[in-house]
Amino acid sequence: MDRRHFIGQSAAAVGLLAGLSSQTKAANLQKAEILVIGGGYGGATAAKYLRLFSNNTARVTLIEPNTSFISCPMSNLVIGGSRTIAEITSPYDTLSKRHGIKIIQDSVSSMDPDKKTVTLASGKTLRYDKAIVSPGISMNFKSVEGLAQANKDGVTLQAWKAGPETVALHKQLAAMREGGTFAISIPEAPYRCPPGPYERACQVANYLQQNNPKGKVLILDANQDVVSKGALFKKVWAEQYAGMIEYRPKSNVIGVDAKTKTLKLEVEDDVKADVLNILPQMAAGEIAIKTGLANSNGRWANVNFLNFESTARKDIHVLGDAIQVAPLMPKSGHMANQHAKVAAAAIVAELNGWEINPAPVLTNTCYSFVNNREVVHVASVHQYNAAEKTFKTVPGSGGLSPAPSILEGIYAWGWAHNIWADSLG
Amino acid sequence: MQMKYLKPILVTSALIGLSHWSGLSFAQTADQLYKRGLAATCANCHGTDGKGVVDGGMPLINNLTSEQMLAKLKAYKSGALEGTIMPQLAKGYSDEQLTTIANQLGKKQ
Ligand SMILES: Cc1cc2nc3c(=O)[nH]c(=O)nc-3n(C[C@H](O)[C@H](O)[C@H](O)COP(=O)(O)OP(=O)(O)OC[C@H]3O[C@@H](n4cnc5c(N)ncnc54)[C@H](O)[C@@H]3O)c2cc1C
Repeated sequence: MDRRHFIGQSAAAVGLLAGLSSQTKAANLQKAEILVIGGGYGGATAAKYLRLFSNNTARVTLIEPNTSFISCPMSNLVIGGSRTIAEITSPYDTLSKRHGIKIIQDSVSSMDPDKKTVTLASGKTLRYDKAIVSPGISMNFKSVEGLAQANKDGVTLQAWKAGPETVALHKQLAAMREGGTFAISIPEAPYRCPPGPYERACQVANYLQQNNPKGKVLILDANQDVVSKGALFKKVWAEQYAGMIEYRPKSNVIGVDAKTKTLKLEVEDDVKADVLNILPQMAAGEIAIKTGLANSNGRWANVNFLNFESTARKDIHVLGDAIQVAPLMPKSGHMANQHAKVAAAAIVAELNGWEINPAPVLTNTCYSFVNNREVVHVASVHQYNAAEKTFKTVPGSGGLSPAPSILEGIYAWGWAHNIWADSLG
Repeated sequence: MQMKYLKPILVTSALIGLSHWSGLSFAQTADQLYKRGLAATCANCHGTDGKGVVDGGMPLINNLTSEQMLAKLKAYKSGALEGTIMPQLAKGYSDEQLTTIANQLGKKQ
C-alpha cells in the first residue's frame, strides 16, 4: 500500500477514535496533498517552508527533473572563470532527509486544474489539493529569427538557466580568437534578473583582461538604457574596462545567421561577433502557460499578492519569475524565495481555517560582481498595500551601493551560501 | 484548541514510526505564524531562523539577544549605524515589525 494513503487512513482512523470530525480545519492541513512544481528558488523554498510553518505536518511533494540545483546567481562568475559550476551546485536530498519532503525526479507535462491533477512526463498522474507552480522562465526563441536552430546546434548559447550552457559559454569565451568580440544581447524588460546581463558583461571583460587583453565585449540592449544599477555599471565600464566594453542601447536583435555569426538588428546595421550570447524574450515557464496561468498578455501569471494564488485558477499558487510582478519588483532569486514564504504561510493559514496574513512583507537584495572581487548591490523592501492590492516599495528604503567594494564581494558570497541553505538546506 | 486536534496526529506519527510526513507537531496560532513569516524575510541573508552559515561570509546574527538585535536594527534605521545594505533595508520596516523580528530571531536565553 502507498505509504501516503496508509498515513492518511491511519490519521483519519485515530481522529475518529478520538471523536473528531474529519471535517475539522486542523485536520485539513495534515490531509491536503500539496504538490510543488519546480525546485528552483521559489519552489524549493516553498516546499521547505510549508514544512517549517506547519511544524512538519503538511504533506509536501516536490517535482523537479534536475538531479541537483544549479544556481543562476553566481553563474556569471563561472562564465568569467573565477568560480566552478561545482561551487554553485547544491543537492536536493536535504529537503527529503531533513525536512521530510517527498521528491519526485520528473517533470510535469500537464495539469488539469478542474480535476486537480498533474501528469508527469513518465505518465503517472498525481492528485493535489494545493499546487505551487514555480517553473521559472521559458525562452521565446522565436523572438529572434534563426535562434532556435542556432541554440540547438550550440552555436549561440543563452546560459540564462544555469547548467551545461553556463560551462559551454565559458569554454566558448576561453576559445575565442585573440582580439575577438563577445556579443551579449538583452531583450526588452521584463526578463529574468534585470542586472544579470550587465554583470555578465563585466565578468567576460574581467576574463578577457587577464587572458585575451585585445578582446572586446559588445552589449546590444533592446532597452532605452541600462535597466538596473546603470550609473554604477557605466562607471565601472569606463574605469575598469576602458575601451573594452561597448554599450549600445536601443539595439534590438531580431535575427541571427549562425554560419557567419552575424546578428540582425531591428534598426541598425548587422553586427558580426565571435561569441554570440543571445538572450531572447522571456515568459513564464512552459507549464504555467500551458495550464492557462499566464493571463497577463499570455506571458506572465497574475496572482493575488496576499497568497500568490493564480487569478486564473483556484488552488494553484504561482511564484518567482513566472508571475506578473508588482511595481519595482524584480524577477530575482531573492524575490522568488520571499514569494515562497508568503505563499507557504498563507497556505498553512488557509488549511488551518485562519485568515491569511493581511500584511505580508517582501525584501529584495541583488548583488552584482563587477570583477572577481568587487560587488555592487540594489536593495528594496516591499510592503503589501491593501487598498491597491499590490506590494509597494517603502519610500526612503532600499537603494544602491555608492561604489563597488570588496566587503560587498564577501557579503555577496555570504548571501549565496545563506540563500542556498535557506532554500535547500 | 489546536492541541486537541493535532495531538492524535502526533500519536499516529509516533505509532507508525518513520513516516514521510511525521515529525514534531505542536500548537501554533495565526499570530505566531505571521510573526514567523515576517522574520523569515531576513533568512535569505542571515539563515533560516537566523542561523546563518558559519564562515559563509555574511555577518552572523544568532549571537545577539532580542534587545541587542532591536537596538541594532533601530540604529540602522535612524542612520546612527553605518553599513552596506542594512541601513537601506531597516528603513523599509515599521518599528513594530523590527520589534517582532528581534523577538523572533534574538538569542533565547
Ligand atoms: C546570470 C544570472 C544571474 C542571476 N543573479 C541573481 C542574483 O544575483 N540574485 C538574485 O536574487 N537572482 C539572480 N538571478 C535570477 C534568479 O536566478 C531567478 O530569479 C530565480 O531563479 C527565479 O526562481 P524560480 O523559482 O522562479 O525559477 P528557477 O529558479 O529557474 O526554478 C525553476 C525550476 O522549475 C523546474 N521546472 C520547470 N518546469 C517544470 C515542470 N514542468 N515540471 C517540473 N519542474 C519544472 C526547473 O527545472 C527549475 O529547477 C540571476 C539569473 C541569471 C540568469
